[in-house]
Amino acid sequence: MEAHVTELWIAVGIALVALIASIVSVEFGVSITIVEIVLGVAAANFFGLHAAPWVDFLAAFGAIVLTFLAGAEVDVDLLKTEFKGSLLVGGVSFLAPFVVALLFAYYVAGWSWRASEICGIALSTTSLAVVYAVLVETGLNSQRIGKLLMSATFVTDFGTALALSLLFVKPTGWIILFVAVSALLIWRLPKISPRFFGRYGDRVIEPEIKLVFFLLFLLMALGKLAASHAVLPAFLLGLAASRLYATHDIERQRLRVVAFAFLTPVFFIRSGMNVSLSVLGANLSLLAALFGVKLVAKFGAVLPLARGFVGKDSVFFTLLMSTGLTFGTISSLYGYQASIIDQAQFSLLVTVVVASAVIPTVIAQRWFRPKTDEEGDD
Amino acid sequence: MYDKILVALDGSEGAQKALEAAVELAHTFGAELHSLAVEGKLPAYAATLGEVDEAKAEKDAFFERIDREAVAWAAERGVELHPSKTVGDPADRVLHFAESGGFDLLVLAARGHSLAHRFHLTGTADKIIDHSPCSTLLVR
Repeated sequence: MEAHVTELWIAVGIALVALIASIVSVEFGVSITIVEIVLGVAAANFFGLHAAPWVDFLAAFGAIVLTFLAGAEVDVDLLKTEFKGSLLVGGVSFLAPFVVALLFAYYVAGWSWRASEICGIALSTTSLAVVYAVLVETGLNSQRIGKLLMSATFVTDFGTALALSLLFVKPTGWIILFVAVSALLIWRLPKISPRFFGRYGDRVIEPEIKLVFFLLFLLMALGKLAASHAVLPAFLLGLAASRLYATHDIERQRLRVVAFAFLTPVFFIRSGMNVSLSVLGANLSLLAALFGVKLVAKFGAVLPLARGFVGKDSVFFTLLMSTGLTFGTISSLYGYQASIIDQAQFSLLVTVVVASAVIPTVIAQRWFRPKTDEEGDD
Repeated sequence: MYDKILVALDGSEGAQKALEAAVELAHTFGAELHSLAVEGKLPAYAATLGEVDEAKAEKDAFFERIDREAVAWAAERGVELHPSKTVGDPADRVLHFAESGGFDLLVLAARGHSLAHRFHLTGTADKIIDHSPCSTLLVR
């Protein structure tokens, strides 16, 4: 079969998986993210769907767009009100699992140092969106525990982005250009974008989305030249744009539409396609151990602090800080695409990341959910 | 026989039947009629906050619409409906509302509106029937 026909069939396969994932998500009320990953696993392991270079390219861009969106969703004012607490809790929530998972992967699992660093980063994350969904659903987002959880998660996400960008840097001249351009964009974007959005925004040709895509591609290109990763500047660029997007919700909505319709499905389906079920089956004990390492490290570091901040709700708080999803998957995919980890290691990490999105959340909601103000008078 | 009736709404065909039964009972007994809509689960394990916000906004709009329609439908039949809305576990919230509101009849549907809800609501209805503080009418 001609190469371009094969690639079109790959596109057909991925589009079909994305469509089925959307239908399953709507019918069963489950987030599209996990459905896309799981169906990606099934498509590759049972139906032989494989990737092409353009799929990897789009998946990498999808990861950067997701990171930008994550930064753009940070509530800077909330972060300021809980600054000390969130810095402390979010800081240890990143550092402890990062160090413990890194050492476990290196000394116990026998992974290379660089692969162990990816393991540490992937398992250090806390999922802001998973935490937020639980808080909104339970009405806790307006209470102190909810605010502290959200702001601490921002800090943990920042730690993950920082580690992913710094740990794999090779000191060349390009890094200076990468840092300089990143800093310039992050500094100037909040000043330039209101005028740009005012003049060119709210049009069907979407110049403001094209501006964001241009900047993100530029960061990716410079990051590649510098042997680094654009995840940190993309996150900070999103953070710099967060106030603007707070007042331009339509533009943020349109960016999400583009991301969710095309880019993030490719990212999550591609991530699932890399997971080998046979590898997982042969490494169940290591899988369980890595999951345990993440939870034990999060509990060891966060629970004592949480007791001081939220008292009897500290287990609920710590369980939610133990969740992970998007940044864990981004870190793992970066490690795989940069040949730092192999398919077996990727399969293990992504499975642990997905399990950490589901298991602590279910336990927290079922057995440790604090009463809301409305329920308090029961 | 019944002075204060509560009907659980979720926008499904079954809930419409429950509303019809509740309106008829309220009309017959001259009872005060209230409805409670519990906004179910948001997408768990989401990738971005936007996904959660949009799902919440969609749910808010959906439940506001079914409340409006239920109030209008009851009014056409000469019954005043007092709608309420909350979030959380449907069974827990309905039971809490029924108990704290001093209702003497609770009316609910046996089946919800989506595939997941159909499975889930069976469990919800079971739980409500098991723990209901008042008489309960399950409408099929």
